[in-house]
Amino acid sequence: MTATQLQTPVLKPTNPWAKRNRARVRDVIIASIVPAILAAAIFFGGNAIGWSMDAAVVLVLGFLPLQLISAFLVGKKYYGSHGKEDALLIVVTIFLSTFVMVLLLSVLWSVITAGAVALSPQFIFQNSHYISGTTSLEYGGAGHAIIGTVLAVAIATILTVPLGFGIAVYLTETGGKSRGLIRTLVQAMSGLPSVVSGLFIYSILVILHVQPTGFSGSLALLPLMLPTVARVSEEALRLVPVDLRNGALALGSPTWQAFAKVVFPAAKNGLLTAVLLGVARIVGETAPLVLTTQYNNDTNLNPFNGPMAMLPTFIFGFIRNMYDTSIQRGWGGCLVIMILVGVLFVGARVANRKKK
Amino acid sequence: MSSQGENKIPARRLLVTKPSRQADKVFFGLTSVAANFSIVLILLILGFLLYQAWPAFQSQGFSFFAGETWDATAVPQIFQIGPMLWGSILVALLGMVIALPLAISLAYFIEFMAAKRFAMVATVLVDLLAAIPSIVIGLWGFAVFGPVAQHWASLLHDYLGWIPYVFYHEGNNYGGSPFIAGLVVSVMIVPIITSVTREIFSQMDRDVINASIALGAGRASTFRKVILPTASGGIVGGALLGLGRALGETIAIFFVLNLVFHINFFQVINGEGGTVASMIVSKFGEADAPERSALMASGIVLFILTLLIAALSSYIVKKAQPWRSN
Repeated sequence: MTATQLQTPVLKPTNPWAKRNRARVRDVIIASIVPAILAAAIFFGGNAIGWSMDAAVVLVLGFLPLQLISAFLVGKKYYGSHGKEDALLIVVTIFLSTFVMVLLLSVLWSVITAGAVALSPQFIFQNSHYISGTTSLEYGGAGHAIIGTVLAVAIATILTVPLGFGIAVYLTETGGKSRGLIRTLVQAMSGLPSVVSGLFIYSILVILHVQPTGFSGSLALLPLMLPTVARVSEEALRLVPVDLRNGALALGSPTWQAFAKVVFPAAKNGLLTAVLLGVARIVGETAPLVLTTQYNNDTNLNPFNGPMAMLPTFIFGFIRNMYDTSIQRGWGGCLVIMILVGVLFVGARVANRKKK
Repeated sequence: MSSQGENKIPARRLLVTKPSRQADKVFFGLTSVAANFSIVLILLILGFLLYQAWPAFQSQGFSFFAGETWDATAVPQIFQIGPMLWGSILVALLGMVIALPLAISLAYFIEFMAAKRFAMVATVLVDLLAAIPSIVIGLWGFAVFGPVAQHWASLLHDYLGWIPYVFYHEGNNYGGSPFIAGLVVSVMIVPIITSVTREIFSQMDRDVINASIALGAGRASTFRKVILPTASGGIVGGALLGLGRALGETIAIFFVLNLVFHINFFQVINGEGGTVASMIVSKFGEADAPERSALMASGIVLFILTLLIAALSSYIVKKAQPWRSN
């Protein structure tokens, strides 16, 4: 290249390194607003004329193509030919992500609004004695089921947590021989259908000729909680630097002390997260409880004797009645479960954050 | 790790942790008991179910898997789960086909497009939604989403009804179809596939992506030629994980899918279907001993199916993360 060749084109200062190109920002904003306005015009205009326009159809056949065209134009103008491809990617990604977010927020929103109708002090504190599917919401509640869920989940947690921690410690600390196998099995167990876990405990009940109790429900929850606890706590233990362990071992401490005094304190919050996520996993499990516990309208404080109601079976039973009020009770129960899950989830995040 | 044949350098010793003291032996023993418990648990589940299911397998023979009749009042009783088995697979596949593009684009959006703070909110939301119990999704699918999805099904029938067979439908009631069940299941598995995919995306080597951009590739070609090939293993693994979850999904499907013992191959908006898991829950209440045995047998079939898929998915996910040491 000679100097003369470089001089021929007159370069305009386009500032390609500038963070914001004003014209481009303006065009992008126009390109994202105009199609929405046009689609809205088609929808409302069509309805005004008398064609019954369908929102879903307008969205897919009207808005999406318009948005694609306008994005194509802007992309072509500023980025050349590959700008069109990029525009396609961006529009489709945002469209689908918004769709998912709308669905997921719709779940949360409907649980909160519909559940709030049923929620009241007596819903939390009373049991469902004398309550049928059509009884007004002013009477009775899910108190017995809340107690049942708390007891059953507590027992399941007490049984599962040592096992889960044991598996995690085996996988990270001991250098045992069958780590690969155990890890694969735990992974496979996390895909265990909840209904199969229920059938398993039920088959034991049948063989032993035992009546279902709250305890059989907690046993059915154990195989579902175990993989979550084991996997998350394995991740937590793995985050502790190897050098810390080796340092403890080099100072002469036996492995169990290295674990108990060095690794465990370092991973404490992560292990707490594992427990909380495990509880969140099983607190709303329904299928195994439908198979292994019996519903009860009264409060039962003894998980080892007699039928015991739990929130999932409470919801399941009332929805199956199909009356309006009973479905409202179901929503109320769902809201209580979601609050429990939300509290556990926030707790898990907070516990995990403090580690830094 | 063994010796490399050099004379001067002594062979590298393999460091092993061996319990030497009594307390350590107890510690190692306890952990291996816990670890072996997971093997025992799987074997126990298989053993007990097989023991209970054996009479059904024996009396029904191979037609248990393929036949289309379930009649506990006939003499002799007939239990065949063909339609349910196919229904499970159809609903799970539908759910996955719907969920996969949604999950990939959501993961891409969170990881590569959204502003940091927005991405964090979306991540928390997705993780929270992965924890929503299936009964909540079931009630939502039945009471809130069901009518909307039925409307979509009617639109599909109106606009695409000319395609033979697939969008066949009679009458005005669009409820209880595999299409709706698939949509509801996809809502349940989108968070799972998203979090696996996002995990893989976030572990990708940023230098490779930056290099691709520096070479003049745009977003789309970087995504197509760099990100997708690198992450494909993880995405497939995540999709299989979602498929396994969808196969085992019980309560949500129980509320939104009609249980009909007739194989409905691909008529997705026709209100006939049923899955193994939802059948178990709905038949369970009034089953006598032989029928219960047949339900246990269907449970075993479901269990083995999901075990296979879970093993495959964990294998693929592991392969997709070669940088992760054991």
